Amino acid sequence: MLSPALNQRLLDLSDNELYNEAVALIRRLVDKEGCSPLPTSQVIGLLNIANAASYSELERFIQHQRERDWPASKRDIKTFYTELEQSFREMRNRRIRSEFHLLSDGLSPVDANREVDEIMAMLAHEFIQHLVAENGVLAAQKADERFKRK
Amino acid sequence: MNREMQIILEVNVQAENFYDKAAQLGDHAAKVLGSRRRSQMTGLENIADSALKKTDIFDYIKRQTGRFPFWRQSYPGDKSQRSSNNAADDKGFGERLLYYLEKDLDEIYLKEICSKDRLNIGNTKEEERYERRRISLLLIRQFIHQMVAAYEFQVSMSNSNNGKKGA
Repeated sequence: MLSPALNQRLLDLSDNELYNEAVALIRRLVDKEGCSPLPTSQVIGLLNIANAASYSELERFIQHQRERDWPASKRDIKTFYTELEQSFREMRNRRIRSEFHLLSDGLSPVDANREVDEIMAMLAHEFIQHLVAENGVLAAQKADERFKRK
Repeated sequence: MNREMQIILEVNVQAENFYDKAAQLGDHAAKVLGSRRRSQMTGLENIADSALKKTDIFDYIKRQTGRFPFWRQSYPGDKSQRSSNNAADDKGFGERLLYYLEKDLDEIYLKEICSKDRLNIGNTKEEERYERRRISLLLIRQFIHQMVAAYEFQVSMSNSNNGKKGA
């Protein structure tokens, strides 16, 4: 169970760091690298896992989606999960400790790992919420552009 | 005056300054939503009043913008009739609202409230960042309440005008 002070800190991080990073990630994939926005079925699956599961289950889901043999028309989904996995790995292995300074002092390795996973569950949930919201806007913009071209 | 009262007072002072912008966006909402989609505005008010952080409100606006074409409609009619020439004013309603809440409220009004001449709130200590986040939410709530009031007014005016035309 995270302390109220740590919860406040995570909300602060969500507003001031994760929001911009999630928007930047999906915008880079769609606007700069030419990927399609994530389709609705993937959005629903990802949100369901992020809302209900532990961080390790979310991690497994992302890894599974990344490793799937997607047909050429859905290669962008693989790219998306590859990028998401990389962002979360960086957050879990480095940023939680040395950038965000979120971990309690004096924990045993087992307890530290448990706390990292609890923190990551919340950070990943926030990140995915922001990313999915921006993805929805981008998907609608693309659909509007297609409609205008017709 | 205690600290809480000072914050409320400062937020209200700034709310006077952005009243015109909120009214413009309320007008835009009335044009694209009409009276039949009032629930879009009450839903937004509910989210704004219950959110723990500002990005919950931004995400909600994005979800509605992605979901409903009327949230993406720009202000209909002649551009020269508008009272401002902000770059965001040509955008759809959701995007325009988001632009204002994300940029102007923080960069102009929150900055002013937290300045040395006002409440003198820094941005380094944990408590200061918490206080800033709370004030930012209060500003957004005020803005949305003003915008919804303007929306209600515009919608009721156009309804009563339509009634007169029909009579």
